[in-house]
Amino acid sequence: MALFSFFPVYPMDFRKPEPALQQAFHPLSVRVVLRLILPVFRRFRLRLLGGFAAMLASDLLYLTIPRYLKIGVDELAQSSATDRRLLFLSLCILLTAVLTGLLRYFWRTLLIGFSRYLETDLRDQLFAHVLRMDQTFLDRRPPGEIMAHATNDLTAVQMGFGMGLAAAADVAVMSSVAMLFMLHISPPLTLTAALPLPLLAICAWLLSRELHRRFSRVQEQFGLLTEFARNTLISIRLIKSCTREEQQIRDFEQLGKEYVAFNMKTAVMQGLLLPVSMLTGSIGTLLVLYSGGNMVISKVISLGEFVAFITYFAMLAMPLATVGWATGLIRRSLTSLGRIGHLLTAESTLTRSLHKEAQGSAVILQSLPHLSLRKLHFSYPGTVTPALSQIDLEIGPGLLGITGRTGSGKSTLCHLLLRQYPVADGTFLFAGHDVNQLDPALIRRHLGYVGRNTALFSGTVEENISLASPEASQEKIEQAAMMARIHAEIIAMSEGYQTRIGEKGLRLSGGQKQRIALARALLADRPILIIDDALSALDAETGQQVFAALRAQQQGKTLVLISHQVRLFAEADQVLILDQGRIVDHGSHEQLLARNVFYQETARRQQGKEAAGAQFRLL
Amino acid sequence: MRSFGYFEESKVGRVSDLRLWRRIIVQCWEYRTSIIGGMILSLLITAAAVVQPQLLQRAIDSFMTVEGDAGARLDGVFRISLLYGFAAAVAFAAGFAQVMLLEYIGQSVMQKLRSSLFSHLLSLDLAFFHAHPAGRLVTRLTNDIQNMNEMFTLVMVTIFNDILKLVCILAVLYLTNVRLALLMTVFLPLSLALTLFFSKIAREGFRAIRSQLAVVNAFLQEQISAVSVLQLYARESDSMNKFRELNQVYLERNLHLIRLFGAFMPLTEVLSALATASVLWYGGGEVLRQQLTLGELTAFLAYMRLFFQPMQEIARKYSVVQSALASAERIFELLDISGSIMEPAVPLDGERIKGDIRFEQVSFTYQEEDENGGEREGSQTVLREVDLHIKAGETIAITGPTGAGKTTLVSLLVRFYDPAAGRILLDGHDLREFAPQTLRRKIGLVLQDPLIEPDTVLANIRQDTHLNRSEIYQLLVRTGLDAFIARLPQGLDTRIGEGGLDLSAGEKQLLAFARVLCRDPAVLILDEATSSVDSEAEQMLEQAVRSGFAGRTLLVIAHRLSTVRQADRIAVFSQGRLTELGSHDELLKQQGLYAELVTADRAS
Repeated sequence: MALFSFFPVYPMDFRKPEPALQQAFHPLSVRVVLRLILPVFRRFRLRLLGGFAAMLASDLLYLTIPRYLKIGVDELAQSSATDRRLLFLSLCILLTAVLTGLLRYFWRTLLIGFSRYLETDLRDQLFAHVLRMDQTFLDRRPPGEIMAHATNDLTAVQMGFGMGLAAAADVAVMSSVAMLFMLHISPPLTLTAALPLPLLAICAWLLSRELHRRFSRVQEQFGLLTEFARNTLISIRLIKSCTREEQQIRDFEQLGKEYVAFNMKTAVMQGLLLPVSMLTGSIGTLLVLYSGGNMVISKVISLGEFVAFITYFAMLAMPLATVGWATGLIRRSLTSLGRIGHLLTAESTLTRSLHKEAQGSAVILQSLPHLSLRKLHFSYPGTVTPALSQIDLEIGPGLLGITGRTGSGKSTLCHLLLRQYPVADGTFLFAGHDVNQLDPALIRRHLGYVGRNTALFSGTVEENISLASPEASQEKIEQAAMMARIHAEIIAMSEGYQTRIGEKGLRLSGGQKQRIALARALLADRPILIIDDALSALDAETGQQVFAALRAQQQGKTLVLISHQVRLFAEADQVLILDQGRIVDHGSHEQLLARNVFYQETARRQQGKEAAGAQFRLL
Repeated sequence: MRSFGYFEESKVGRVSDLRLWRRIIVQCWEYRTSIIGGMILSLLITAAAVVQPQLLQRAIDSFMTVEGDAGARLDGVFRISLLYGFAAAVAFAAGFAQVMLLEYIGQSVMQKLRSSLFSHLLSLDLAFFHAHPAGRLVTRLTNDIQNMNEMFTLVMVTIFNDILKLVCILAVLYLTNVRLALLMTVFLPLSLALTLFFSKIAREGFRAIRSQLAVVNAFLQEQISAVSVLQLYARESDSMNKFRELNQVYLERNLHLIRLFGAFMPLTEVLSALATASVLWYGGGEVLRQQLTLGELTAFLAYMRLFFQPMQEIARKYSVVQSALASAERIFELLDISGSIMEPAVPLDGERIKGDIRFEQVSFTYQEEDENGGEREGSQTVLREVDLHIKAGETIAITGPTGAGKTTLVSLLVRFYDPAAGRILLDGHDLREFAPQTLRRKIGLVLQDPLIEPDTVLANIRQDTHLNRSEIYQLLVRTGLDAFIARLPQGLDTRIGEGGLDLSAGEKQLLAFARVLCRDPAVLILDEATSSVDSEAEQMLEQAVRSGFAGRTLLVIAHRLSTVRQADRIAVFSQGRLTELGSHDELLKQQGLYAELVTADRAS
């Protein structure tokens, strides 16, 4: 066993969360990954240099402490020591310790501080990158997954480049210097002592790799458990109404049992790791004791040398136990960095083909752009069946109504109009320009949109309404809220327009959220406004009023309305019926009522005019 | 959404809270023999650790420094080496066994606690879920319990171990040399004071970091979920700037803590160097004065490492204990909440329920509880003195503007809540005389967005009823729903839900209906389907209701007027009051709200 430890104690924490790898990525080359962090390394090169220098100096200084002890013990053994001499040696030890401490303070703050700068930089990069991405990217990586990168992966990177790197460097310096001192005392004894060390390194490496693998499984199971609990609790109303409580509890217990089993498997590795390193340390000490003792007895080395040797050996063996831990951290951080790298190197499919000049270029578009779709064909990335095919459509000022069954491609059409997905060259013209030659941001500046679930942000009601137009006056904001029929409810809230909503704020009903989103779009006052089924959550009367407000606002501009409530299309300039991604019919409300069976059927059901013999009609 | 553990601002538990400790001990009582086993293993490990330097000292004193027969001395060193090897082997075996045992205890206790918390949560009524967001409850079930696990594996036994080690080492030191031991003891309070002082500052630092991380992550999560909105309204740079600011604050708080640790870690090492220096100086003097052997001095120096290690360990674990206690407190708080829906001592049997429903002066208020359990200003009365008699077998439509209290009425019927005033009678019995589960089996509820289990269609329909395949199939044929099943690729065996076929909104409704049908309820409640259901599904649903529920009580919550026209009677609600009641024609004559709504509908 080691005699002393002046070693910094690194928390042996193998329980750091590890994100479950949801999809297999082909590995990024090391160069690509390093390119992401190289600028940060360059920016902090002086800090890193200073940090490593301080580490080297502190390690060297620290290793002199056993020298003083050796001198002391030797002189005591030879009875040549005096009180004054001992005091001098003790003061030397103390002074060295203080100096070492100072240097250590520097390297810790410099090197571990660096990892925090790196983490911050990567987090900024990550968010900035996501903000530039198109829907294709966002579909493939749901918020949960991006959040896993921003939390678990970033933590792993920070740990690896902070603690991991520092510990690895520290171990390298310490053990090589300790080895030198040991060699200086007795090369044969050094060789004997070092016999079990490679074994330790290999064991630690293998065990920590296996531990890591099993631990990933534990994390995955933890994810399942969490997801199950969440799903159950958010649909508690449903669970209770179909009296599924017992079933859910049984399933949850089963998941929990599996989780326990995985944990126990992990514990086997964890349980071996530390005892194994302690055991190898002990074996080394045992060898030193036996052969070193023999050497002392046969007067090959002095007793003082023997004591110092054991001390140095402890310095060598102790940190070696952390090798497994440090390499684990670094390996994990590189894996995480690779995952983040995948995210950061993904390109937006919208701007990929865009020439550099075109990005943010000053193409002046007319204030009321005309949209044309020409033989537009679209399937979602990674799918074969087309979501839209052979779409020919001209969208100019006026009201365009779109209807069709669920899954007929209405919302897909919206997404394309909003420039969220890539389209083929020449199939979508915006104000006469091919959209692939325009900066998507430029196009979006002309568009307003309210979908079925438009997001609101944590903040005041006012901030949410004026999201698109932060300079808007209070009067304008209230006007928009009145048009969206939400004003009265807002002023009834405890702090009116300054009421905080979202997380930690007031929870709004679906209809209220919808109307705030409508107010936002009305205030934005864009030449083209797209409403995707956003009125369905409102009752008939309110829906009618909001629709009228939308009509008034878009007078002379473009309004695209997607709805099942075909009665809203009475004044539409054109109505499209989509089915299986195709435009199956189009014309005015009256024309369609006259000839289209689906349209007639929909209208008939909604008006409920006919009193057929049915006992009761649903819808 | 998965939670990432950092979303919640951390709170620190009070270590001196005895009541809390007692509850924790009660949870572990079942595993007391295992815990005692762990402690015995701890003793073994400690003994093995303490005996190793002792053996070294023996080797130096008895065989290395003494003059004499080299052969006998070599022999002695060999014997001691053997003993040393034995001690190392014991430390290894006991160390491994201890980790496994502690993991077993920790995991078992956690599993028990997690399951009981989960079933406790499911037994609570909806008023509770109204006041507690699901995200936070999930954190209790997962992260908080995980947090407590650390306490069982790490703390329960190892702190005992550390303290024991300290005591043992001190005892050995005193036995070796009292004066030198006294000198060492001086460092005990010094080191203790330093760590306590530090852990107090560090705690504040950690708290500041975690709460900022929660802010950063919450912001990130929200913004990422709405990137398309940000892009649409060109708010990207704005949002980026806000994020940069939050991130910067987080960085600074981290750097502060790193400086703190950077100062503390070397300080403890300086302290132990000081101890080494004084032992060398004073102990060396003792050797000179012939009060101490050289071997004893080297052993003393060796024990110092063992002495400072548990000190640092205890300091480190102290913060683990604090955070575990905070978690334990939150978990026990939840377990202490009891639902407001009471099961009757002798619940009525629901077998022969005919479906006659009577509301008598029913009022209801949602109690919005804030964090401290107090009432928020926002609690509003959603139903006021409702009197309504629904005869068995009647079809009644419930309509009115958003927020009129329609959904609440249904929630009261299946005892998601109990009325604040008045009572509801089913076949003449107060609903409170039935167990909620009985009611929910006899009152079928078809909600707008049904729960789909990732399983086959058959399993989704069957649920906890005991119908076999052919019985279910006959039921489907009788109601015409077999047409919907026939369209699915593998019929009843089609896998749906996550990883399976994605059903359309209309198909989900049909499924939910088939599910209710299996339970053969006396009362059916339909929450009106949204506009997203296509007309084909509507037709099927209509037919199924007609053929499967003829003669039973049917309640339909309707937004659209076309839906309600055919009901026997229509109940119109407005601001929590039942304002109009009667058939379509009667209500039109009344010229009230209903007539107004009909006119508005016609105008469009």
